Amino acid sequence: MPRYALSAVGADRPGIVAGVSGALVDLQGNLEDSTMTILQGHFAILLVVSMPPEVTARSLESALAPVAEEFGLVLSVRPLADEQATPAQAAPGASPWTIAVHGADRVGIVHGVTAAVAEVGGNVVDLGTHLVGSDQAPVYVMTLRVTLPEQPDPAAAVALVRTAAEALGVHCTVHPDEADTL
Amino acid sequence: MPIRPVLLLPHPVVVTPSAPVGAVDDAAQALARDLLDTMRASPACVGLAAPQIGVARRAFAVDVTGHRKARSCHGAFVLFDPEILSATAPATDREGCMSVPDLTGDVSRPSLVTVAGTDPQGRRQVLEVNAFEARAVLHEVDHLDGLVFLDRVAGPHRVFPRKVYR
Repeated sequence: MPRYALSAVGADRPGIVAGVSGALVDLQGNLEDSTMTILQGHFAILLVVSMPPEVTARSLESALAPVAEEFGLVLSVRPLADEQATPAQAAPGASPWTIAVHGADRVGIVHGVTAAVAEVGGNVVDLGTHLVGSDQAPVYVMTLRVTLPEQPDPAAAVALVRTAAEALGVHCTVHPDEADTL
Repeated sequence: MPIRPVLLLPHPVVVTPSAPVGAVDDAAQALARDLLDTMRASPACVGLAAPQIGVARRAFAVDVTGHRKARSCHGAFVLFDPEILSATAPATDREGCMSVPDLTGDVSRPSLVTVAGTDPQGRRQVLEVNAFEARAVLHEVDHLDGLVFLDRVAGPHRVFPRKVYR
């Protein structure tokens, strides 16, 4: 079954998910992983969908065009090559951590922190941000789930990430993800 | 006994560890009254820590009286220099904070907690708290270490805007 990455963004209003998913159902498509949320008043959809073999990126786009038109969505469809995908689980020798960052908003917080994660050989697996506060005092809140290499020293990797955050003047807390299997 | 303004993130006092209160003096007793008065001024507020009102001292007030999630309830109380003696049985629930008015988040915290500290009369207290009162105590103790609930949220998709959706 060919799989496609589909993204859609438009001013939030009721019926967007029902409209998009309805067009997929009409093509016998299967909505696999997805994330959908409101970003600054815009409803954003990012999903991976598997389609019957006869469906192409072009026919999928055509089938979604009426929905995009109705809801004013900016839509994109791209075929996915499965062999390029890596599993979401931590690679061997890497452990999962959660990083919380918050502080006065400024340019470069996401880049500064994620560049430090990349520099220590870590990988961002999930990330969410919120711009809150007032126009006069905007506050940026970012939460990341990352994997960090266990060698040579996860504490040193954590310290580097925290140093990068502090250089941006934002508060940063890093703690290991603890998952209890019950 | 003034009601004090509550400081918001990213005010430095809110994100910096506070200093011990030590011996209970007039200033500490005035701080206890301010914490209680400021907490009571907001009907939904079940706890307030000294750094939230701009005082970088290890003191907090909690009152979960009448809250639907409360099991143990010690009424309104203030503790100075709290120590967590034991904390077990983690549970996850949604939290908000007067210093982070725009967001809520899911936080896992122990639900059976023994906390010791000094009360405003200078007496040592040891309290067994559970469920929502335990969550409130641990949330306030975090404030004394310069931490807010955002530092403990369960993941990127466990932070929620408080604004009402259209």
